[in-house]
Amino acid sequence: MTRNLNELSPVYVVGVGWHRYQHPSETTYVTLGLEAIRMALGDANVDWQDVDSTFFATGLLGMAAGRSMLRHLGSNGKPIAHIENASASGSTAFRHACMEIAAGISDVSLVVGVDKREPVGRAYEKNGIVGLADEAIAPMTHFALLTNNYAHKHGVAPEDIALVAVKNHRNGAKNRFAQRQKERSLDEIMSGKPVAGTLTALQCCPVGEGAAAVIVASAAGIKRLGLDMNRAVRVTASAASSEGACQGAGADAAITTATMNNALTQAGLSARDIDVLELHDAFTIEELLYVEGLGLCGPGQAIAMLKEGAFDIGGQMAVSPSGGLIAMGHPIGPTGVGQIGEVTMQLRGEAGPRQHKGARKGMAHMVGLGAVCYVHILEKD
Amino acid sequence: MSLPKLLKPDTYTENGTSAHPDRPALQGGRCTCGTVFFPMQTYGCEVCGAHGDALKEQALSGVGTLVSSATVYIDMGQPRLAVPAVPFIVGEIALEDGPVIRAILSAASEDELAPGQQMATTLVGIGDDERGHYRDLRFTRA
Repeated sequence: MTRNLNELSPVYVVGVGWHRYQHPSETTYVTLGLEAIRMALGDANVDWQDVDSTFFATGLLGMAAGRSMLRHLGSNGKPIAHIENASASGSTAFRHACMEIAAGISDVSLVVGVDKREPVGRAYEKNGIVGLADEAIAPMTHFALLTNNYAHKHGVAPEDIALVAVKNHRNGAKNRFAQRQKERSLDEIMSGKPVAGTLTALQCCPVGEGAAAVIVASAAGIKRLGLDMNRAVRVTASAASSEGACQGAGADAAITTATMNNALTQAGLSARDIDVLELHDAFTIEELLYVEGLGLCGPGQAIAMLKEGAFDIGGQMAVSPSGGLIAMGHPIGPTGVGQIGEVTMQLRGEAGPRQHKGARKGMAHMVGLGAVCYVHILEKD
Repeated sequence: MSLPKLLKPDTYTENGTSAHPDRPALQGGRCTCGTVFFPMQTYGCEVCGAHGDALKEQALSGVGTLVSSATVYIDMGQPRLAVPAVPFIVGEIALEDGPVIRAILSAASEDELAPGQQMATTLVGIGDDERGHYRDLRFTRA
């Protein structure tokens, strides 16, 4: 009989850190990663020598990035595993670190995501199957098709869908680790560079680099190392899935619905219990699709709630309080890890100008090419 | 002078199906479990996992219904024959034979397209390279 994460030993996030997500630069991945890790270790009050293992998420760096960076913390001989799962690399690394803690194999683990913008190599392009237009369809085009489909089906205007970007840029402007820290009006967003369909550049996540780190620990580790339990946030659910047969263009939304509901069931919660939600808003349409997937409202109804301010910081449920992939950014490896960091800060009450008051329960969601989907729920007592 | 070669001769054919002989057919497949898929492959059925002889070629008629379309404005930098110069239009089409596929559309602009329209295949000449002229498949308003 298989079990859920929260049926094993409790897992806590005890430290978080970032190197700001930024436009591609000459900064090495080592600099990016070390800054995020040192911030997380400091936040947790954990010594590097007390970390039992590292899960290193990267989509693009290539083989064996980890030790060349981690040795500069003082080589500790502990296991290092690299995890790649496209956009969901960071979320996947987090899940597996949590499992290792929950199983009692480690007391303290580091999850770190680092990426620099290298040419994106997609292994599946080598699968030998030649479709009609695979070479011509990048993610932006896939989501442009979904946007037009949604707009047509539900009778909404492109401007309505772009309101997601207005909110997320506004949130990102309050986040010193965000790649884009500028409020943008709807006009600015709509009149920007057309990308595909009705998607303009500011409705799409930017290309960038960065790093994010979290430290996870068991109750025993927290006690042994004298860490502050008042600032620890418990991971109460971890759910993951991949695309089923013949789900086609709706696969991301379908697996999101299933995996979010799986996570809620694990945690014994309903959609309405979630106070803050970080999700895979690489393109504005995705925020609408995935919020509807969560079950807060029916298909085509998310815009009405968005316009009412339901998804603002301070609204019914803060969605993408960090600024999301659109404004915080999406360097790939770091993204899912950074989401856990944001949710943790929110639940601790430490999110400053981005604080969603009274946040007690948070959810982090990512999808990745495949498609794959990862959802975690965090709670603060 | 013969017509230029097909760019992807394993993916579509010049000839149509008996249902639509004038529309280039798509080279799909059928599994013994009943699943119809595109393009043809023998790795294994995505639904039941059967492989080898269980998967047979099935020509799919080049006719379907437009689900959605979008114009692509940004060049992703692949200087390949298979990708037209921007802007070009991509469409999602529900084939009458079952699979829902994505293809490049031949249309003057998106204004002449609407979800629900009947679409059909056609072959168009594309830029040549050292290997000679090519034709590639497009969907157009039927």
